[in-house]
Amino acid sequence: MTVKEAVELLRKGLSYARRTKFKEALLYYNKALSLDPNNPEAWYLRGSLLIDTGKSKEALLDCEKAIALDQNYAPAWSKKGLAFYNLEKFEEGLYASTRAASLNGNDVNAWYIKGVCLDELGRSDEAQEAYGKSLELEIILDIESEKKKVGR
Amino acid sequence: MKTEMPLSKPIRRFLNTTEELLDTEISLLRQPDAEPGGTLVDIYTYDIERNVIIFPAQYIGLLKDFIIAKHCTNLMIKGAATKKGEYKVCSYTEDSVYRGLRQIYLDALKDEASKKEKLPVQKLIQLLFILFSHFNDDVNELPWNTIVNASVYHRMPKIRKTQLYHVMKESKNDMDEMMEQEEIIPRRYFVLNKAMFYARDMFLAKTLPADELMPVLNIPQMKKFNHLEVKEMLTTRWTHTAWYQSKVFGDNMLEIIDKPLSQVDWNGEPTLDYYYDLYKVGINLSSNLLSYMTMRDWYVWEEPKHLLMAHDHKEEYEKKALKRIFGDLIADSWGDST
Repeated sequence: MTVKEAVELLRKGLSYARRTKFKEALLYYNKALSLDPNNPEAWYLRGSLLIDTGKSKEALLDCEKAIALDQNYAPAWSKKGLAFYNLEKFEEGLYASTRAASLNGNDVNAWYIKGVCLDELGRSDEAQEAYGKSLELEIILDIESEKKKVGR
Repeated sequence: MKTEMPLSKPIRRFLNTTEELLDTEISLLRQPDAEPGGTLVDIYTYDIERNVIIFPAQYIGLLKDFIIAKHCTNLMIKGAATKKGEYKVCSYTEDSVYRGLRQIYLDALKDEASKKEKLPVQKLIQLLFILFSHFNDDVNELPWNTIVNASVYHRMPKIRKTQLYHVMKESKNDMDEMMEQEEIIPRRYFVLNKAMFYARDMFLAKTLPADELMPVLNIPQMKKFNHLEVKEMLTTRWTHTAWYQSKVFGDNMLEIIDKPLSQVDWNGEPTLDYYYDLYKVGINLSSNLLSYMTMRDWYVWEEPKHLLMAHDHKEEYEKKALKRIFGDLIADSWGDST
């Protein structure tokens, strides 16, 4: 029952986060985590929210918890890459985003973070490759989004 | 600039330079329903404390970076002009609205005379200010869009592919504009609208360089005009179509755009003076376009506040202009429509 309840709380939290109501979202995520601390998604979602509110250090810990629960949880690797990038730890950001991109080749964020980290590390040619992949995926997302708008 | 969004190196540098040179602050805002080309809400136009660049939520990587680069360049131009005490936009007054609406009405009458299905008078009257306003928006946007794109292309080589995708998308949307109203818009204005976008796209196709951006290649209605021989041009019935005329006007507008922009040193040191010079080029180019379209007395160059005020009074200006054109006849019909 607690697992189900936690999932419901996460859903509500996410809905608040999407509307940039971060305080309310955080409350729901915290409740979900107290009910089910073994849910990697809960740690990942709270980590994402912490990044959005400028708390990359704390976010990093949440991403690591999510990864500890599921080594192959691609979104958590992706956010971890972003948190490292924000903390200007580009080598670590590159490692995390590369891992994220290998787990989920369609993650635009992962490819983009990989590109910006490589750029910061002066590896311009490799950065261009990562940017190229990120752009390719972003264009697909954009076309899909435009189609949805037309369909509305 | 304080943001938790990841940004590529050249964009971050450009944002910082812009803030430093203009001594201002820029915020980045992601919004689900933002315009595809993003929006710049700036302190030089609106009475606000900091500049905001808004872009669609699905832009997370280089598309976002391109939007930021584009609006940052625009901000630099506006800021530099303001700091030199000269930032002006294309605005309108009660008198200039009258001149514009009167001209559109006269052109519409000529068009209507040759049409089998006449446009109801009420609709024709409503169309006048819509067209006037449309060209005002276009003149305030299109020349700057051209300049900004050329500048971003030269200064940000890393985002050129992104820029090409975006410019092509923008071009398609602009060319689709007014399409559904083709039959009701006076031919002259349909042609001028298309010609402006044609000229911009041709210029960018040469600058970027990207053949696929050329209107005669990517606009279905214009494909048949590519590589036409002179004899064909003179004899074919196509010469009477709005699209062919758009190409002819567009080629002339391309010259107007190309001439001043080919003199610009796109890689010059990015100082306030440099962007102020770009502003002057833009104003000059816009004025020349207005002259070419014989719309020079429709608009006035004024501070942004003037244009915001004009927008607030647009209904009043429209009513007064219509009254001057149609006299007492308009009182009843206007009353019916409101």
